[in-house]
Amino acid sequence: MIVVRQKPIAEICDMIGRHSRVLLVGCNTCAAVSLAGGETEVDTLLQFLKLANKRRATYTEFGPAVLQRQCEPEYIEGLEHEGYDAILSLGCGAGVALLSEMIGKPVYPALDTLFIGAAKGLAHWSAECSACGKCVLGETAGICPVTRCAKGILNGPCGGVSDGTCELGDRPCAWVEIYERLEALGRVEQFKQISSPPDNSTRIICEWDMTKPGDES
Amino acid sequence: MDSGSSNKGTGAESRDDRLFAPCRARCPVHVDVPGYLTAIAESRFMDALEIVLERNPLPSVCGRVCLRPCEDGCRRCLLDEPVAIAALKRAAADIALYPPALRARQRPERVAIVGGGPTGLTAAYDLAKLGLSVSIYESKPRLGGMLRYGIPNYRLPDYALDRDIDHVLAHGVEVHTGVRIGHDVTIDELAADHDAVLVAVGLQDSRALPIPGANKPRVLKALSFLESCANGERMDLGERVVVIGGGNVAMDVARTARRQDVDLVQVVCLESRDEMPAAGHEVHEAEMEGVTINCSWGPREILGDDGVEALRAVRCSAVFDEQRRFNPVFDEGVVQEFSADTVIFAIGQGADVEGMGLPTTPRRSIQVDPVDLRTTVEGVYAAGDIINGPTKIIDAIASGHRAAAAIFRDITGDSEIFDLLDPENAVLGKVPDTMAAELETGRRIQMERLEPWEAIRTFDELERGYTEFEAAREAQRCLSCTTGARLAREKCASCLTCTRVCPHGAACVNMGGYLYFEMEACHACGACASQCPAQAISIEGASEEDFSRRVQRRLVDAGLDTALVFSCGPVPDVIPEAGVDFRTVQVPCLLRVSERSVLEAFDEGASRIVFTKCIDGDCRFTHAQELVRNRIEHIRAMLSEIGMSDSFKVTASPQTRDEKEVDSR
Repeated sequence: MIVVRQKPIAEICDMIGRHSRVLLVGCNTCAAVSLAGGETEVDTLLQFLKLANKRRATYTEFGPAVLQRQCEPEYIEGLEHEGYDAILSLGCGAGVALLSEMIGKPVYPALDTLFIGAAKGLAHWSAECSACGKCVLGETAGICPVTRCAKGILNGPCGGVSDGTCELGDRPCAWVEIYERLEALGRVEQFKQISSPPDNSTRIICEWDMTKPGDES
Repeated sequence: MDSGSSNKGTGAESRDDRLFAPCRARCPVHVDVPGYLTAIAESRFMDALEIVLERNPLPSVCGRVCLRPCEDGCRRCLLDEPVAIAALKRAAADIALYPPALRARQRPERVAIVGGGPTGLTAAYDLAKLGLSVSIYESKPRLGGMLRYGIPNYRLPDYALDRDIDHVLAHGVEVHTGVRIGHDVTIDELAADHDAVLVAVGLQDSRALPIPGANKPRVLKALSFLESCANGERMDLGERVVVIGGGNVAMDVARTARRQDVDLVQVVCLESRDEMPAAGHEVHEAEMEGVTINCSWGPREILGDDGVEALRAVRCSAVFDEQRRFNPVFDEGVVQEFSADTVIFAIGQGADVEGMGLPTTPRRSIQVDPVDLRTTVEGVYAAGDIINGPTKIIDAIASGHRAAAAIFRDITGDSEIFDLLDPENAVLGKVPDTMAAELETGRRIQMERLEPWEAIRTFDELERGYTEFEAAREAQRCLSCTTGARLAREKCASCLTCTRVCPHGAACVNMGGYLYFEMEACHACGACASQCPAQAISIEGASEEDFSRRVQRRLVDAGLDTALVFSCGPVPDVIPEAGVDFRTVQVPCLLRVSERSVLEAFDEGASRIVFTKCIDGDCRFTHAQELVRNRIEHIRAMLSEIGMSDSFKVTASPQTRDEKEVDSR
């Protein structure tokens, strides 16, 4: 799932400050599951912006909407945005992008899109995938070095590791974890394989049309 | 007192298709017990009273003297002690104002009701609400029947009965007292003059045993004795009274005799202690007041040359035979004499059914169709004890509902109410073991009551009733069965947050990945609903919209400095501060107050918001504490962003005098 989180409130206020009628649009898929873009968060943010408005004696009006998924044109087609002069999207980057493309009005992101992640408990997610386009998880026992290693190197660990901790100091070293899990799986041999340098061409794919295979760009 | 939202229009109708809590299922009239307990737990006494009145027109009466089958069903029975459901009903009736009488458009049909007891009053209430013209014909000078003339004042004072009766009469019921059927008017005459006649005269005759000496002047019958006392007469009973009988009426008679300055009151009954039909607490209270209970004695003769000197009784070795039929066996060799100046029979009631002029059954009751209570005479119905024999008050009320529904159906053709008489809702099962292990346990709050030595000096009411604070606290013991999480599946984002916050595993996911709730394991803490990002979960009768309306109502006419206090549980005294108008919204847990609700309250005119947390060690929903902390932090962060940090305070509920008293009682 795509994990998102709400931007600092001041940043949101700055973005929408010059508009007089703003529609807040939630997304009931990844953003809702991230507890940042469902109906609850739309209502809360709307109520907050109303109050902030009052305090600052500005006169922006707000309205709420929630789409099932902002990254699908069919869902966006049903969005009633007449009378609003801007959209504040509580969706991921893809949602903001498609809304902008289709609506023809300024669309602002209320959220920052963080990563593709997995749930670790209540309101807690970990980054597991960077959508690099060339999956190596089969060789790394399911731990993504592109995502979990700060440097994203494909042959690790680097010299910065100490006691299993990354030199950034805030996370375990992904390569130490990869080694430990391979070992637990009886696959240490795998660790000795040198990986090819990353194929960065897959990172720059900007469209994928399944109906036209071989036509990727 | 906070009069907030009621459940009307928010699914109350559809709720009836769903599970019944066992308390509600066991109530013969299916009062929405969890609904009104939830309201009381939030100090919404008027809402609570309205919920009770939907099914029971006599809350003040039943709150005092109902034999409360609901409490036997309470799911707390297996954990600690049932919630004091009846006492809380009384609290609603005592504390709240009765709602204004609402009647349907006046209809042309007229109904006569013979008998102003619980059955007659209930039928009158139902039919008057439906717009019919209703007249009650009562032989006694005042309405109430056994409630007034049979139940002593120390259990049900007149003022408490009159509150209910006044509310029934406020619906436009005509009353004719002092009218005796067969003497002043006949059933036929009433039938000729009305579209329907309901006979609900109850059982007015006390039974006595045809033993030698039973016709002596100082041998009394229970009902006439109790009626004289109810009329304020003081009787010369002598110094020693023997009461024959082992039921609740016998206890009432014995305890009433104690209040007539009789020192030695002995109850003599056929049954063994375990077989006595009287409620256990009634027997216990009678003993506390100095009544002696003598079990397993069969009265044989009332001795005495002129007056009464003693009751001679023989040992009763068995009351019932192997088929549990009444068939007493006596051991004539074991004899006991109970000295007495007065003997009072309290061995059951009967009715003068012949006087009605209606066809009767061999068991001396009026012959009716048990489903629609029609007698064999066109347009004449009979209900209550006259057809069922002695039953509980709440059964009499149920019979009154049935009669009213049948009458309404028969004279208007509208069978909707009649068809809803016997709901077939499934009943919620017992508390799962895993959940039971997590729940806080504790005894119910005891009412303040007269000490036995004080009690027997007067006919003053024994129990003082709960204060608002005590009632709210006791109601919080309710597990809110069946009022918990509701899922709007079409909104669910399948985020699983609910499954992660529920401590009892009520939120579950099936093999297809769809969420569902195990209602047995839900006690409506609201954690899931509070965290649901998609607003797919709501708590019965406490949706975000309901809550907004409640907050709005509390903030009507808010002044410049109006502080809205959201309190977890009852707050006996709001912390006073000069010049500040404090208004309280009581919630079962602060988790019910969302960020949105707080922001909305500022928008509605609150100048400050205070969160008053529950008393330490008294938190019912410990799993919610961290979620509440997180929410408080989030609210603080938002408010500090717009310079309003000072407008939001979090305090702990002060332990007050009331609180200490309750704990030590």
